[in-house]
Amino acid sequence: MRHGKYRFLVGALIVPLALYGVFVLSPYLQAFQLSFTNWNGVDSAPEFTGFDNYVKLLDDPLFLAGLRHNGLMLLVVPLAVIVVALALAAATKGTRVYRVVYFFPQLLSVAIIAVLWQFVYTPNSGLLNGALSAVGLDSWRRSWLAEPDLALWCVMAVMIWSAVGFYVVLFSAAMESVPADIMEAAAIDGAGSVTVFRRITLPLIWESVQVGWIYLGIAALDGFALVQIMTVGPGGPDNSTEVMGLGLYRAAFTFGKFGYASAMGVAIFFATLTIAALLLRVTRRERVELA
Amino acid sequence: MNLTRRTALAGVAAVAASTGLAACATAGGDDGDKVKQGDTSAENPLGVSAEAALEVVIFKGGYGDQYAIDAGTSLKQKFPKVAVDHKGIQGVGEVLQPRFVADSPPDVVDNSGAGRLDLATLVSAGKLTDLTSLLDAPSLDDPGKKVRDTLMPGVIEDGTFDGKPLVLNYSSVLWGVWYSKSLFAKHGWTFPKTWDEMLTLNDEIKKAGLHPWTWQGKYPEYLNDPLVSLAAKAGGFDLVKSIDNLQPGAWQSPAMLAAAEAIYQLAVRGHIMPGSEGLSHTEAQNAWCKGQVAFIPCGSWLEGEQQAVTPAGFDMVMGTVPALTGSDKLPNGAVMAASSESFIVPAKAKNVPGGLEFLRHLFSQKVARGFAETAKALPVVAGATDGLNLSSGLGSVAEAVKAAGPNVFSYKFRTWYAPLSKALDDATGELATKRINPQQWAGRVQKAADAVAKDSSIVKHQR
Amino acid sequence: MRTKHAALTLWAVVVTLPLVWALMSSFKTDAEIFDSPWTPPATPRLDNWSRAWEQASIGQYLLNTLIVVGGSLALTMLLGALTAYCLARYEFPGNRFLYYTLVAGMLFPVFLALVPLFFVVNNLGMLGTYHGLILVYAAYALPFTVFFLHGFFRSLPGAVAEAAFIDGASHAGVFFRVMLPMARPGMVSVGIFNFLGLWNQYLLPKVLNPDPDRYVIAQGLAELAVSRGARSDWSGLFAGLMIAILPILLAYVFFQRQIRAGLTSGALK
Repeated sequence: MRHGKYRFLVGALIVPLALYGVFVLSPYLQAFQLSFTNWNGVDSAPEFTGFDNYVKLLDDPLFLAGLRHNGLMLLVVPLAVIVVALALAAATKGTRVYRVVYFFPQLLSVAIIAVLWQFVYTPNSGLLNGALSAVGLDSWRRSWLAEPDLALWCVMAVMIWSAVGFYVVLFSAAMESVPADIMEAAAIDGAGSVTVFRRITLPLIWESVQVGWIYLGIAALDGFALVQIMTVGPGGPDNSTEVMGLGLYRAAFTFGKFGYASAMGVAIFFATLTIAALLLRVTRRERVELA
Repeated sequence: MNLTRRTALAGVAAVAASTGLAACATAGGDDGDKVKQGDTSAENPLGVSAEAALEVVIFKGGYGDQYAIDAGTSLKQKFPKVAVDHKGIQGVGEVLQPRFVADSPPDVVDNSGAGRLDLATLVSAGKLTDLTSLLDAPSLDDPGKKVRDTLMPGVIEDGTFDGKPLVLNYSSVLWGVWYSKSLFAKHGWTFPKTWDEMLTLNDEIKKAGLHPWTWQGKYPEYLNDPLVSLAAKAGGFDLVKSIDNLQPGAWQSPAMLAAAEAIYQLAVRGHIMPGSEGLSHTEAQNAWCKGQVAFIPCGSWLEGEQQAVTPAGFDMVMGTVPALTGSDKLPNGAVMAASSESFIVPAKAKNVPGGLEFLRHLFSQKVARGFAETAKALPVVAGATDGLNLSSGLGSVAEAVKAAGPNVFSYKFRTWYAPLSKALDDATGELATKRINPQQWAGRVQKAADAVAKDSSIVKHQR
Repeated sequence: MRTKHAALTLWAVVVTLPLVWALMSSFKTDAEIFDSPWTPPATPRLDNWSRAWEQASIGQYLLNTLIVVGGSLALTMLLGALTAYCLARYEFPGNRFLYYTLVAGMLFPVFLALVPLFFVVNNLGMLGTYHGLILVYAAYALPFTVFFLHGFFRSLPGAVAEAAFIDGASHAGVFFRVMLPMARPGMVSVGIFNFLGLWNQYLLPKVLNPDPDRYVIAQGLAELAVSRGARSDWSGLFAGLMIAILPILLAYVFFQRQIRAGLTSGALK
């Protein structure tokens, strides 16, 4: 009955596997190889330089700035998004229209969000300073993206702005699947709404929250598009918004240091992997189904 | 016009070109159907074969390609039987790379635009014709004058690699400080000749309720242009060379420090419009166009960029950066300039003499005048815009070129050493916001220059 | 209760205000945008939109995006479903290995691949081409698509397929006529997920698509916002932003339930 099984399998799998091999797998593997060379993209034979690039990374103020800033994003953005999203998800129960609106930013390209927010932050004709003046807070007006102490926070605010909606929807969907009789029972037992949330709702939707942590953690290691489009420099002022992805992009496509950029890529890879593993561990409450 | 992005793209294109060209080292060339050089004469100094076809590929970008069509028409008037095949295209590299690999390139290429071929690669692979015979040929307009003597200073140098002229750029870009002639007339201000006068005038401008300066803070390189111009004027060509050659201490030389101090003074004295450091080029230039600000630093493309938002009667003009001291090494009119729109004749072109002859027509007065009129940019042919009714901005740029005479300088480090450019941009952004002082500025940039000098993975150049 | 609604409204305002403000700005002149960011336009300038469409090439960018996203989405769905089906429903040596190799692609940050990917695409002569972007997009969307649909195909009952085989259907026939239609809900979810992901791509086109004539919409708008030397046109840029945003928002308003469900179920897999 099932004759030609292997012919079918080969026919079906050869194209996707070739595509995956050529454009995904081989670049990933080549990146490791390139990271041990000083290739500048022009020489036909890259020179093997061992761990030189990695040693340089540890001494590169731009890369270290990127690492620091991605680290700060990692501490701030996921937590802020999850707290705001949980609060809004709990509050929007029964009022669906808010969820529709909150979801808008999720539909926009991060590049478009960056262009939009550049207009929001711009000092003299921007939305934010205009709004502050409109409510009489003229002294709060700033050159938002041009002050080294503020710029990174402004970038993070955009990340939070664009991410919250998605997690409101994610969490409220999870909350709706919490059986109503459990909640009622708890309420009858005299538990306050905060207690109900902490003791009952949160554990029951924990899987969603955990997924959120991991997605947001990985996103916090990026930030390339926002920084590259919005910020002074980009990455400024004075590298105060530098992120690792931007450093890699610049090293490769502006400086022509392809070997070095590949080493940055490897570093980003291990950072991502570590974060994902750590978050999985820290947030583990029950077995997570991966496959 | 966007030098930084161009540099980035050049890097990408370098890579794009290198892979293909590496392969063509082994590809066999067919010289069989190459057009032989004909007899040379006073009328035909390059020995053009009267009946050979000529293929011309032009980047059709912001400047259009009418001027190249004009050059073809001009050539045909002299050699009516030459069939000129003109192609105006956008992705030059994409279209031509396979043809360079196969050694069957066109006869003339305007290698420009985002997707152009990488020049350094073409040069090192020996793909370009030496243009010396063209430069030494009599110019079309005046047989007593060689082509090389009709070009603005610096143009031949821009296209010379290891002593060989291989590229001729067609359009010239100048950097200066822009202001509105009508606004200045209204207040009775005159453009300052020295930086001291600039600071004095700035105080006056402030009293009149205007901001003296703004700049395109989101891209700090805009403020570097006046800064390094001031330094070049004070320190002369030697300083420019020492910077480009990464000489130790060049960024901390007295002229460079004084230039940084000059720019710093703008910030210290409150001459810069608040918020400028957070403005994009568009926002800063619009504030200036609306008459809120007196001065803005920019290259000669500003007039075209601001076309849509410039009020009637604004009459923008570019002033050359004022003298830094009373004892500057370069005279007052000295100006920073660079050229773009790179014309090449491929070494393996079928009709090399025809290609060279095409360039002789292209660099003639008549074609160059047409370029100024249709492209609204300055051609590198000296005196080509004389007597033309130029717009206010382009007219001031043409005058600046004339006033500069041979005192035209350009820095190469921006294209040679991108990491140094970045460090300079960052430092200047900090200098203009008073977060660092000139000494700290010079120290930071010098450190970056030293790092580049030490970095063996960066290819070094000398001038 | 009152604070709850105040908080909900506040966030709604925070989300919508930039969008509404950009919409308003897209009808103003450049001067009005710079002088009075808060005032509505004196007369609505519809020509901003037509100018953005034609002169600022937003129309071209949209067309490029449709070609690239449409092509890669179709390819991803076809290849992803086929792969997921084979791996989910056939036993053969190396099955697990292939599955984990594919799914591992989800773990790797694109930044790691960026430099070599540029050279791979360049060496294939595909830099700045539609087909180059389509293939790369599809390749990078494949891991998630396979991962998602693998679970889906596994959960489908086998009886129908068995019956089809007994009726003499070929392997391909069973896939296309029986299993694929049964997998429709999963296909829709992952399709929506992929569509938005591909539509919003920025990093890949930024590196692999240097030809301005082939810019996709997000890339084109970002370039317009930062491009220097070209004629400036901010009202046109705002109009361009709205042209890029509105079709997606409108589609969302009509299909919001499916879209939200598609995206969140994608995340939770």
